[in-house]
Amino acid sequence: MSATHHHHEEQDFLFKYIFSQDHKMISKQFLITGFLMGFIGMVMSTLFRLQLGFPGESFWAIDFFLGSWAENGVMAPDKYLALVTMHGTIMVFFLLTAGLSGTFSNLLIPLQIGARDMASGFLNMLSYWFFFVSTIIMLISLGVEGGSASAGWTIYPPLSALPQAIPGSGLGMTLWLVAMAIFIASSLLGSLNYIVTILNLRTKGMTMTRLPLTIWAFLVTAILGVLSFPVLLSAALLLIFDRSFGTSFYLSDIYIGGQVLEHSGGSPILFEHLFWFLGHPEVYIVLLPALGITSEIVSTMSRKPIFGYRAMVTSILAIAFLSVIVWGHHMFVTGMNPFLGAVFTFTTLLIAIPSAVKVFNYITTLWKGNIIFSPAMLFSIGLVSTFISGGVTGLILGDSALDINIHDTYFVVGHFHIVMGLSAIFGMFAGVYHWFPKMFGRMMNNTIGFFHFWITIVCAYGVFFPMHFLGLAGVPRRYYTNSEFPLFDNMIDINELVTWFAIVAAFAQLLFVFNFFYSALRGPRSSQNPWRANSLEWTAPVEHIHGNWPGEIPEVHRWAYDYSKVDENGEYVSGEDFISQVVPLGPNEKDGGH
Amino acid sequence: MTSIALENNDYKKEIKQKTAKPLLWIGLMSIVMFFAGLTSAVIVSKGTAVWETIQIPSAFAISTVFILLSSLTFYLGERSLKSNQLAKAKLFILATLLLGLLFTVTQYLAWTDLYKNGVVWAGSESSAAGSYFYALTALHLLHLLGGLISLLVVNFKSIKEKYNAENLLGVQLSSTYWHFLTALWVYLYLFLIFIA
Repeated sequence: MSATHHHHEEQDFLFKYIFSQDHKMISKQFLITGFLMGFIGMVMSTLFRLQLGFPGESFWAIDFFLGSWAENGVMAPDKYLALVTMHGTIMVFFLLTAGLSGTFSNLLIPLQIGARDMASGFLNMLSYWFFFVSTIIMLISLGVEGGSASAGWTIYPPLSALPQAIPGSGLGMTLWLVAMAIFIASSLLGSLNYIVTILNLRTKGMTMTRLPLTIWAFLVTAILGVLSFPVLLSAALLLIFDRSFGTSFYLSDIYIGGQVLEHSGGSPILFEHLFWFLGHPEVYIVLLPALGITSEIVSTMSRKPIFGYRAMVTSILAIAFLSVIVWGHHMFVTGMNPFLGAVFTFTTLLIAIPSAVKVFNYITTLWKGNIIFSPAMLFSIGLVSTFISGGVTGLILGDSALDINIHDTYFVVGHFHIVMGLSAIFGMFAGVYHWFPKMFGRMMNNTIGFFHFWITIVCAYGVFFPMHFLGLAGVPRRYYTNSEFPLFDNMIDINELVTWFAIVAAFAQLLFVFNFFYSALRGPRSSQNPWRANSLEWTAPVEHIHGNWPGEIPEVHRWAYDYSKVDENGEYVSGEDFISQVVPLGPNEKDGGH
Repeated sequence: MTSIALENNDYKKEIKQKTAKPLLWIGLMSIVMFFAGLTSAVIVSKGTAVWETIQIPSAFAISTVFILLSSLTFYLGERSLKSNQLAKAKLFILATLLLGLLFTVTQYLAWTDLYKNGVVWAGSESSAAGSYFYALTALHLLHLLGGLISLLVVNFKSIKEKYNAENLLGVQLSSTYWHFLTALWVYLYLFLIFIA
């Protein structure tokens, strides 16, 4: 009897926590796995920053973390390339794609549209487990002979196509490709579910124009994923054929060590076309969810309706559309026809318009609001800041004439880390602080959150802002050291400063880790609607139930942004400064957003 | 953790009815993009490399006829199910599977033809054009294998008379995928003629 009981409990545990098909649990699985990968990626960056700031010096930290990759605590040059490659791969795909979309699309889509769960819980579970297997393979690749992939996160051939090219081109590169193929499968399964759930399972009254902007962002992100990840898969497959079967899709006229290889007829530029056809939409796959999260938080924490709801939706759509016709701006120096370059410059600069609309709307939403500076709000405002300062340098890089001078310099590194890396991770932090009560039923500690934000934003700018000056001076990216070039002798101080900021920023993240785990276990219990927000997820009980609402799914009667709504006498319509989406419209009341 | 409605079979069925088709359609979109990526790669390669002329094996034309016929029989099978003519439906659905297998065989014959004509997949004798011929057709066939597996299931269920006019979601999903593969093949066949 007791054995059966025990067995039953074990099964319960297995299906509740491990092979769960509940979107809320899957969201937590994505969050934890994503953050774990993010932490590994951050440690890697801190280590190679030590090498860049203090080239050739010995550090116990490098010795401790890298072992045989660093003799006497000095990083080996080929391992520097391996670390840079894996840092990029992990941060872009594992943290900011799967970690961000996987967490918040899963958590919020059913809860905010009023559905019991995703369209297919089974596919959703598969999506997480494919992701998990992919992370394991990617981590294993760090330990194989020759080290992990080292051709940069963009894995351009021929370095990635010829196993004998560099140490990291061997088994490490093969595992990278296998891991990414599985990752793409995971991402596609997730995206399918997100799109179909949003389009088909909305509760009564939840029209498309009443959807919170988070949902719009997740929807468009998923559509971009479905359209662009398969193209990366096709590129990766051709690469696998070249590597393992001896085809010549990307290879032609190659000599290694004086020996002629038999590949002929292919073109490495082809890979760049295919890669960046994914690669640029990928920027928005990373960014749009963060922008959606920010819209929600900025409005709730300003106690004001989001400014220009329709313009926000339109600009999300416009950004997504433009993102698939700009990939050539990554390839201005590949010998591209200058006329074609001008076309790509034009489409690239067009993105500034919807981006500016979004920034304008964030600021006008904040304007004269009753702002509550919660950690989530601070990170959201931080996102608006990084989105502006990173976006402005994007205009310079998007112009082919200017780009040629600073291509592949630290200017590019500074630009994309601010506009994509920082914005997306700020959005993710904001999301975690804001929806932590929904995830764990407890509140995070605000004071630690404030320290986390302020140290992070100061250090983040401290790391990436000076990089623009390095780039303008011509310092190339991806070099192990610049100490061989007298030209860059006076740059070493900047590099040292950047490294110090990076170290402090890395330690500041420990505050978040502590706050996260401590609050999940010991934080004060949350009320059902701690932020006094309108959207549907806060009408569900704090205690998670599979199916989300104990009775009927609530019906929706208004948009999600009725904050501080007053009647003709200047009194709050509902007696409070917010009105939940489930409250029916009054006789003279108009629905917002239309 | 209590469960609301989710374990209820009617609820599960309702959700499946609502979402299975859109899930498939969006999945098909991603396959379209996969082949769009591959065929645009061919166009880029054709513009930059020395392009070898390739004689298209006649077996590809025969396989085109087979797959078009298979779509026709699947359509007729589905129509018979809708009018509850189960015996007729069984035959058409079985014919679809057989035609699908014939398509697979003729694909293989086409590859042996290519090989005999000196078009090789990889190595020093290979050319980008030849490798694309093999890659595109093989990747289509890989997707078709999924279709064949679904046809096996559908055949099994139709022989056991599990489908009828009210209950044919499985057949509809399988046939949508199959018609898609037919269209994809026709596109690829025309594309191969164009690049050869």
